[in-house]
Amino acid sequence: MSTVIARTVTRTVVPIILVTAIALLLQGHNLPGGGFIGGVLTVTAFALIYVIYGLDYLEEELLHRNRDPLLESIRHGIVENYQVAFGVGLAVAVVAGLVPILFDYNFLYQSHWYIKPLPIYGKLHVASALAFDLGVYFVVVGALLTILGVVGTE
Amino acid sequence: MQPTTDPVASAVLAVVFLPFVAAGLVPLVYRLVGERTAYYAAAIALACFGLVASQYGTHGTVSFPWIRSLGVSLSFYVDGLSLLVGFLASGVGVLILTYSGGYMHGEPSQPKYYASLLAFMGSMLGVAFAGDLIALFVFWELTSLSSFMLIGHYQRQESSQYAARKSMLITVAGGLFMLVGFLLLHAVTGEFSIVYMLENPELVQEELRSAGLFLPVLGLIGVGAAAKSAQVPLHIWLPNAMEAPTPVSAFLHSATMVKAGVYLLGRFRPVLVSDEWQLLFAVLGLTTMTVAAILAVGATDIKELLAYSTASHLGLIVAGFGFVSELGGETGAFHIINHATFKAALFLVAGIIAHEAGTRKIENLGGLKDDLPITAGITAVAALGMAGVPPFNGFYSKELLFESAWEAAVHAGGGLAYIYPAVAVLGSVFTFLYSIRFLMLFFGEKPTGLHKVHSPPKAMLAPPLLLGVIAGLVSIGGVLGTFGIHFGPFDNFVTEVWASTVAPDADLHGGFSYYFPDHLTPAVAMSAVTLVLGAVAYPFYGTLHRGVNRVTDVNVLRANWYYNSAVFGLNGLSDRTSRVVQNGLLRTYATWALASVAGLALAGYAATNVALPEFTNFAVTIPIALVLGVAIVGAVAVSIAPSHISGVLTLSILGFMVAVFYVLADAPDLALTQLVVETLLLVIFLLVLDKLPAFYGNTDRGKMVRDGVLSAVVGATVFVTVLVSTAATPEDGIAQFFLEEAVPQGGGGNVVNVILVDFRAFDTMGEIAVVAMAALSVLTLVAMRERGETQ
Repeated sequence: MSTVIARTVTRTVVPIILVTAIALLLQGHNLPGGGFIGGVLTVTAFALIYVIYGLDYLEEELLHRNRDPLLESIRHGIVENYQVAFGVGLAVAVVAGLVPILFDYNFLYQSHWYIKPLPIYGKLHVASALAFDLGVYFVVVGALLTILGVVGTE
Repeated sequence: MQPTTDPVASAVLAVVFLPFVAAGLVPLVYRLVGERTAYYAAAIALACFGLVASQYGTHGTVSFPWIRSLGVSLSFYVDGLSLLVGFLASGVGVLILTYSGGYMHGEPSQPKYYASLLAFMGSMLGVAFAGDLIALFVFWELTSLSSFMLIGHYQRQESSQYAARKSMLITVAGGLFMLVGFLLLHAVTGEFSIVYMLENPELVQEELRSAGLFLPVLGLIGVGAAAKSAQVPLHIWLPNAMEAPTPVSAFLHSATMVKAGVYLLGRFRPVLVSDEWQLLFAVLGLTTMTVAAILAVGATDIKELLAYSTASHLGLIVAGFGFVSELGGETGAFHIINHATFKAALFLVAGIIAHEAGTRKIENLGGLKDDLPITAGITAVAALGMAGVPPFNGFYSKELLFESAWEAAVHAGGGLAYIYPAVAVLGSVFTFLYSIRFLMLFFGEKPTGLHKVHSPPKAMLAPPLLLGVIAGLVSIGGVLGTFGIHFGPFDNFVTEVWASTVAPDADLHGGFSYYFPDHLTPAVAMSAVTLVLGAVAYPFYGTLHRGVNRVTDVNVLRANWYYNSAVFGLNGLSDRTSRVVQNGLLRTYATWALASVAGLALAGYAATNVALPEFTNFAVTIPIALVLGVAIVGAVAVSIAPSHISGVLTLSILGFMVAVFYVLADAPDLALTQLVVETLLLVIFLLVLDKLPAFYGNTDRGKMVRDGVLSAVVGATVFVTVLVSTAATPEDGIAQFFLEEAVPQGGGGNVVNVILVDFRAFDTMGEIAVVAMAALSVLTLVAMRERGETQ
């Protein structure tokens, strides 16, 4: 499947996909998007790299390393990073839920603020829910990539 | 005596929960003191006994809220009947656990044994004191569970497994019947409280009758009680339950487990007593009494004999409770006490015989009195009581049964009703026969092959001795009663138990007292007939024994045969079913799952007469029609795609068209999700495609037709479901709430996202946990496969 056209297109498209995914994550609270969609889109970019360049490419050529994986049967060390990703995501989500308790609110209580005088951008709307969404994002990315990596190795 | 003091809440709670806590500590204790755990457990039982005793003379309810929204509370009710069962469970518990210290010496898995015995005692105390239907049910099933552990104590033996499973199946299933009865009671009265029902028995019965549910409730509760108390034809688990170690048999089958059933009848007697009640339970009880006594004559093993005898005496108690008159309540109340004392003693004696003589076969035993003189004495008192020979204790309660049976017959105007006393006498004759046979183990000649029998250790001798003495005292009380000397406290206690089993305003004839009859009454005549017939028939015991066995060799006459056929038949059926339904092919699983879901859903719609909504405002714009048209083309193309690649690509057409449809239908968030997921799916498919075989293979026409029909049905089900579920327009939908509150509370313009991360954030957290879990499972599964640990 690795034709020159496919490689070239992938090289161009992947950064766009990633940027779009992050945009979706950030704007999710007010416009279509959110952690889940952003996460799935990010995974799409990685999957594309896998399809076009193969599973080893990402690890060896882009990240320049060759670690021994924890589990012998899984040949790719990067799977461990994916596991860390969804672990961190879950932790972020839980912490985002726990923080309001410190301020005497319910578990998972959300609030939002406007940061007004900003140069160029004008005013910025920040919702505490973004932290939770970030957790969702990482869990989705980590988990799907783990599955993709493991199944893809087979 | 009119007890009015309220029970102490902490004491009642402690009685019920102390054994459970103690059971939890058993493994620890066992590590510390080893086999002396028996005495630790006995001490706990003694503490419970003390706590029960401390509540003697109180009457009332202790209640704690449990499930408020359903009106269920964890309440305990203390009255004569519950105190009686409480005394039996904890008191006999002390003796049994002490005895276990000797009997279980060197036996395997003792911590489990003591823990389940304690848990069993706790559940039984819970049953006795439960003042709420749900609490009663929970403890009731706990007794079934813990007795399952106990009966299956020798878990490697096939017969133990069979026995444990059988008792579990029958008693738990019976409990479920009872639960349905309870729910019906609740549906009619709106109360889960047993106390409420006991305080308003007439009102409850009237309500039940007007709702037309009296007979169902009576029947359902009857099934529960009959299963637990081993009434014919559900008696079959009881003889098998002798697989348990003998102390357990003594505990379960004399004092506690089987008493739960008669306790239930006693508890609900004031509420449900009526002509139907009498017909049902008098017939059931007398039948059980007679049939089980005949079976006991056919028994070849001493524990089997005692097990059938237990069923028979439970029949007597059930029959007693069954008779409508106040006498009936008296019979049941008094015989519960008598039976517990003589039967527990006899079971322990049987344990001594089995332990010291090394056999339980009746024909291999005899002349034991020379080696076991004390045991012989105990047996004489207990067995004669069981036989109903005057002046021993069983005689008095059997007199009461004869009296109530006679009274019921006279009251009913004679005729067929005289079957009651006749059957009662017949059953008693057989009771007499097997009791004497058991006693004769100690007399006559020692059979050849029986070696010198050792004396049992003191820990094993003391408990039956104590029980024998109690039985003896009760017997003497009757003789003294003739001379006007009564054991006041004992009579008072029985009066209280009796009062619990009759309507609140019933006439107790000045309270309970018993004495040796000094003039001829119908009951005395019946007793005399029983004794004479028994004495005449005893020389022919061998013939009777063989005759009974010849009859029970006929399959269709044995309840057990039906049980075995049903259980093993069902086993075979389930084996065959799983071979067909779960044959390891993914395709088969999918077929069955989809077909049953579709079938159930459609049947559900048909059963509830769901009407399909009318198509109003059904307008399709041209863009939507176009998009849907392309989707249909895509769907058709998928089904005829010649290769995997084209299949995946055409499937994606369908997916993307659905996404476009969402855009046109003003659902950008959904569209975005659909789009992204579809893309990812496409990419993943491409990733794994070159590993798959290029061809679908040749499928035969029949399978293709089947799959086609199945997909059509599934499609139709989904279509109908969507139509039906969107047709409902609730008055106050929650959509408006979210729309209004999204910005002020969640601070976001995207309502979908605000719901996900704010209003329903907890759900989302659960979902991402599931996603993470799925990834971990994939990882683990793949890793495990390579390590070969998935055998």
